[in-house]
Amino acid sequence: MKTIGLEHLDDLALGSVFLATGGGGDPHVPKLIAREAIKTYGPVRVVQPEDLADDAFVGTIGSVGAPTVSLELLPSLDDAAKTLDAFEKYVGREIDAVASFEIGGGNSLIPLVAAAGKGIPVIDGDGMGRALPEAQMMSYAIAGVKPTPAVAYDYAGNTATFEVSTTDIYERHIRSYSMAAGGMVTAAEHPMTGAELKRSVIPGTLSFSVRLGQVLRENRGQADMLLAPLQETFTDSIYGECRLIFTGKVIDKATRIIGGYDIGEAMIETFDGRGENLVVNIKNEYLLAKLGDKIVASVPDLITIVDFETGTPINAERLRYGQRISVFATGCPEFYRSEAALKVVAPRCFGFDIDYVPLEKL
Amino acid sequence: MRIGVDVGGTHTDAVILDDDKIIAATKALTSGDVVSGITNALDTLLKDGAVSRDKIDTIMIGTTQFTNAIVERRELSPTAAVRIGLPSGRGMPPMVDWPDDIRSAMGEHVYLLHGGYLYDGFPMYDIQGDEIDTLIKDLMKKKIKNVAIASAFSPMNAEPEKFVRQKIKAAIPDARITLSYNFGRLGLMERENAAIMNTTLLPFADKVVSSFLGALDKRGLKCPAYISQNDGTLMSADFVRAYPALTFASGPTNSLRGAYKLTGLQDAIVVDIGGTTSDIGVLQGGFPRESNVVIEIGGVRTNFRMPDIMALGLGGGSLVSDAGKTVGPLSVGHKLVTESLVFGGKTLTTTDILVASGGAEIGDPSKVSDVPKETVKAATIAMHNMLDQNIEMMKPGGKDIPVILVGGGAVLVTEGLKAASKLHRPENAGVANAIGAAIAQIGGEAERMVSFRETPRKEAIALVTKAATDRAVKAGADISTVKAVDVEETALPYMDEGATRLRVKVIGDLAARDIS
Repeated sequence: MKTIGLEHLDDLALGSVFLATGGGGDPHVPKLIAREAIKTYGPVRVVQPEDLADDAFVGTIGSVGAPTVSLELLPSLDDAAKTLDAFEKYVGREIDAVASFEIGGGNSLIPLVAAAGKGIPVIDGDGMGRALPEAQMMSYAIAGVKPTPAVAYDYAGNTATFEVSTTDIYERHIRSYSMAAGGMVTAAEHPMTGAELKRSVIPGTLSFSVRLGQVLRENRGQADMLLAPLQETFTDSIYGECRLIFTGKVIDKATRIIGGYDIGEAMIETFDGRGENLVVNIKNEYLLAKLGDKIVASVPDLITIVDFETGTPINAERLRYGQRISVFATGCPEFYRSEAALKVVAPRCFGFDIDYVPLEKL
Repeated sequence: MRIGVDVGGTHTDAVILDDDKIIAATKALTSGDVVSGITNALDTLLKDGAVSRDKIDTIMIGTTQFTNAIVERRELSPTAAVRIGLPSGRGMPPMVDWPDDIRSAMGEHVYLLHGGYLYDGFPMYDIQGDEIDTLIKDLMKKKIKNVAIASAFSPMNAEPEKFVRQKIKAAIPDARITLSYNFGRLGLMERENAAIMNTTLLPFADKVVSSFLGALDKRGLKCPAYISQNDGTLMSADFVRAYPALTFASGPTNSLRGAYKLTGLQDAIVVDIGGTTSDIGVLQGGFPRESNVVIEIGGVRTNFRMPDIMALGLGGGSLVSDAGKTVGPLSVGHKLVTESLVFGGKTLTTTDILVASGGAEIGDPSKVSDVPKETVKAATIAMHNMLDQNIEMMKPGGKDIPVILVGGGAVLVTEGLKAASKLHRPENAGVANAIGAAIAQIGGEAERMVSFRETPRKEAIALVTKAATDRAVKAGADISTVKAVDVEETALPYMDEGATRLRVKVIGDLAARDIS
């Protein structure tokens, strides 16, 4: 994939919701803003990480805050590019290409808005390969890239700069700033060289999300018919295994906010009420799926819930009692199965007292 | 006594109800001008029931005319869309994601002003007087009278919307203005879309309401008239002049509510079998279970709620193939009376299977004597299996639950359904929609983003309930009967603990008849 144009945006957004595993926010508004940006500035060049010079200078960009707030506090066409302008001014160097924090949800589209406005290419890859709730869970952070110097930019053009000692502290600070600035800011962070990007990025996820969205669109319909095309798509990718782990209806969903996160679980029963129920644990994202006592999938592998009748992925915020759904589990990129990655994304990091077992071994 | 009328695409149904009793029911064809269809239905009704006109206390009308106007892009008046939200949303003007044809049908008059609030009540920006002056000058120059106004977080603070309305009204006294906060729910673009669609329909709403009232007047019906909303509640006819968009999708709701009234079952599955599809919905506490997907009307995203309906490709005209093993989703539709075997056609349909099985006498039964017994048996099993499987999917929590069959195709169910704890086939099921309209109550809804840290939960719920109650009373409810039927709390991730989106829905009986 050499460029991203208007014709790719619907598929990218749809694929990104599947990869968002219930989190990441509704990409509708980011998609609209990307559409306006590409209409105004033209299609965006896509560069593969391996084609980037080792001494190139790269920044990452995305929105930080409460997705619900952006239902009212709309982004502006030039927010993302202006964030990069402020970032360049602060670090004293122009960036050659921009990468995404997370491919899951709305943040898959923000780098396109920035790249279009700045006239620079976007990297085919991201820092999660899915959606995850915190900055220290990014592959960039896990591979040792520092999050700061960083710049956050609000709806009115106010900026804040960050210099911190650890990613955990950065996460705390930028969350607080985001709330003070109306609940949603655009952040440019993790400045790095081309060489650093190559060892820290989850590669190919931008073009993969477009392809995944295309598969979902072309196979729209009953979710069990979706398994074969999905397996074909995932098998040759960095994700690998894809399974349909359950189909049924939501008979209970209870979540509450603890420490700023939407935490709880959903219970799903088979259509005829026979057999065990599936329980999915939620912390913004779908993190753990259990059939009775047996774990059938867990973070960092991907758990995605789709509407049974259309195969459209459903965000955790929109999951409700009575919905007919199917649950898919997909392997995570190898990067997230390393010892360093599991230190921050294993089930225990989310409060589940279990060891991570890769999907294919379950 | 009450009269309920349902104006559908093909049929106009009407009933007279005396408390719970159906005194008379009729089905007439919908006329091109709609009104003569209604007067025809009323004439039959009042003659059949031998009811004197002055015994009728109220009349309730369900109509698809406003939805159809949006879908068909007709009767849309030039409308200005004003959003108060700068500096947020630059380059994301109102109607940015609307289909081109409807946007151009309305004239593309779009304005962005500074102002609005943040989630915590902090002002986003001060309203700019000169921006409002420029807006008003432009409206006057273009002679635009219909204006929709939306501001960021207006469900929590509607002052900016009200302020701009007042300024426009002062300069253009006959301006017709919709404020988005009246369409509840957070989600600026969807709420704004609802306000814009509502505004563009205002002149048409006058026409429709006047012609409804004219038709009633002509037939000597002096009682108050109400029109049904998408949530199964009513608004007064005059209220519709200001809020026509609230009628969107009231049809499926009326059908489910009618099924409730016909059986008295508060919790049940309702299967409405027509010519092409079976629409399966769920009654919970006597009201439809709502869908959570984003509803598009005429290609425009809205924040309207609609019943959770599953449409299954099985009806009286569904094609039967593969020796009876495959039924639907293709259907001969309204051509059933020419194309099916029993009517002398060449296509094997579910109706032919029904007749061949001896389940009903329709058309000429001798025309299906050649259909193999095995095919009849296989198709009958296939139809029942389809319904059983899909009812299972819709059933809440695998509980045993009764099934109510309505619609002309209900006769297809000859065997009983495994998925149903009990099967109900109410009389008058063909006019369920009109009955649903006749029994509707008055509702009100309000939504706020609240912090339980600042306002204790109980107090916050009381506050939002009060806002919803005010709306219901304004729409015609008797305040002594108003009660909350739904309180929805959605906690917001990544925000302060206790930051919650709180939505309350109330319902009450119609206030006593206004004698004046």
